[in-house]
Amino acid sequence: MAHVVLNDLVKSYGSFNAVNNVSLTVNDGEFVALVGPSGCGKTTTLNLVAGLIPITSGEITIGDRLVNDLDPKDRDIAMVFQNYALYPQKTVYKNLAFPLQMRRLPKDEIDRKVREAARVLDMTHLLERKPRELSGGQQQRVALGRALVRDPAVFLMDEPLSNLDAKLRVQMRSEIKRFHQDLSATVIYVTHDQLEAVTMADKMAVMSGGVLQQYASPAEVFAHPRNTFVAGFVGSPAMSLIPLDVTAEGGESVLRSSEGWSLRLSAENARKAQRSSTPKVILGARHSTLRLHKDAVPGTVPGKVYTVEPTGDVTFVQVYLGEHIVIVSLDPGALVRADEPVWIEFDQARLHLFDGETQQSLALG
Amino acid sequence: MTSSAIAAPAMGARRKPIDGWRWAGRLFLLLMLFFTAVPMIWMLLTSIKSGFAAMQFPPQWWPAEPTLASYQKLLDPQNSVGQDFLRFFWNSLYVSSITTVLSVAVAVPAAYAFSRFHFPGRRFLFFSVLLRNMFPAVIFLVPLFILMRFLGLVNTHGSLILTYMTFGLPLAIWLLKGFYDNIPIQLEQAARIDGATRFQAFLVVVMPLSVPGIIATAIYSFIGAWNEYIYAYTFLTRNDQLTLPVGIQRFFSENTADFPGLMAASFMMSVPVVVLFLLLQRYFVRALTEGAVKH
Repeated sequence: MAHVVLNDLVKSYGSFNAVNNVSLTVNDGEFVALVGPSGCGKTTTLNLVAGLIPITSGEITIGDRLVNDLDPKDRDIAMVFQNYALYPQKTVYKNLAFPLQMRRLPKDEIDRKVREAARVLDMTHLLERKPRELSGGQQQRVALGRALVRDPAVFLMDEPLSNLDAKLRVQMRSEIKRFHQDLSATVIYVTHDQLEAVTMADKMAVMSGGVLQQYASPAEVFAHPRNTFVAGFVGSPAMSLIPLDVTAEGGESVLRSSEGWSLRLSAENARKAQRSSTPKVILGARHSTLRLHKDAVPGTVPGKVYTVEPTGDVTFVQVYLGEHIVIVSLDPGALVRADEPVWIEFDQARLHLFDGETQQSLALG
Repeated sequence: MTSSAIAAPAMGARRKPIDGWRWAGRLFLLLMLFFTAVPMIWMLLTSIKSGFAAMQFPPQWWPAEPTLASYQKLLDPQNSVGQDFLRFFWNSLYVSSITTVLSVAVAVPAAYAFSRFHFPGRRFLFFSVLLRNMFPAVIFLVPLFILMRFLGLVNTHGSLILTYMTFGLPLAIWLLKGFYDNIPIQLEQAARIDGATRFQAFLVVVMPLSVPGIIATAIYSFIGAWNEYIYAYTFLTRNDQLTLPVGIQRFFSENTADFPGLMAASFMMSVPVVVLFLLLQRYFVRALTEGAVKH
């Protein structure tokens, strides 16, 4: 096992920077998720680490070795692909044996390792089958097996679960997590599904437009998103974000919307709002921090229900505040109807403020 | 109700009614079959007639005295007819085989490069490969002859091999590129991570998967070279170098009367192609339809 360091990594195609100055450290035994929407550069970053595409500038270190110019085969890595990339003409046994054969291990040792991996992944009975005779979940498991027979320094996984159906995905998710815990392996895991990242990873690297937006533990990213992109990307349903003007009224800071409603800020939030580069901020609030009232309570903001979405254990209600929508979660028993007038209460301790211009978090410290 | 009683109407519903269009289609296919098969059957029948029987009118539909004399004569290295025929046959086999091997050797890496690598002028090169196919082959007869004379290749089999390669390669490259496009690049990436060099990944993973394409390409080049007449007729003059198509034509224009011999030679010329096709046709069909639908 080994740590991985990316230092000012850049990959450009012509004038387009697919990966732009990404720096991060993956500690030994850590599970790091690269997460972001499609085209954000996460898979490119992974391919750079794997050595499948040449880097434009920057440094990649695996263990204590600079691997910039090493072939993929010399980087001591294993990779699991989204489409599994099993060799279709080989049996499962030969698929698992291939990486060992390429490293010229003795035959009996190959056999021992292949059977051990098959036993761990519970697929000894599949060894003589061809990949096309396996189900999606079994193929996925073979791909995982092929990565782990070699005992590499780093595991790279490129959306390994996205071709599976929903139920199997949840099951394989816990299997991969278990596998990481048992092996205390260093894993870099690419996914577009923030839920996968949050549930599996020790740390998540949120990317957008080739730029690393935030790199921290899922809890930290969830609690303290560094900018509006991260705030809107992590968490489901997404954090509601509303652009507002900061005004001073009678010695207090008040957020005022262009449609006329206003929100008085607590002293701490007022100090945050004053850090904004312009008198505009973006207010962020997660659904669980908002409360819905059916009557006008002082300090609440009036709105109108747009839709009610019961999901079983919780009901999400979309509410129009002026022309912006906020999402509130309620008990499933709550009786709310579309178009009903309601009042929304913000939790001053748990709301987020972002600079209206730079979109960066205004959190103190 | 029994299960068979339920199944019966379902079967009937699935079968389409046979209407006039279907019969017209069958009739058309029958006519086409007649059109292509009768000359071949006639060739075979004539080849086992005696020289006299072949000239009779009205013709004997079935030879009164079938004989393999013509075949014996052609395959007997003791007489001059047999010597010539076997030499032509060998020449054709030689030229076609070398053409095939070289075409595959060029087409495989070329197609792979067009499929996988992005290099300046890739599109231009790829379409210019097709340029040759946009003109009838005869147009190039004189220029190529002059070129071959300049290269000192006139009256060598090399001139034919080079020419046949330029004619066969465009389609071969296009066909194979389609094949490589269909092989997920992740397979090679996986192999490279598993410890293979780029070339090993190509050899161990990509090549076995493209075998049907390579076989189709090989058949295509072989048949093209085997059947070609005009260039062989123009580039070669020495009798001992002629390939079968030219050889048969030239040899039997000197012995006009020997129709059974001519037909026997024609039949034997078609044997290698038919055998190749029968052995490998399933690959050929697969190669031509590969990529037509997404899997």
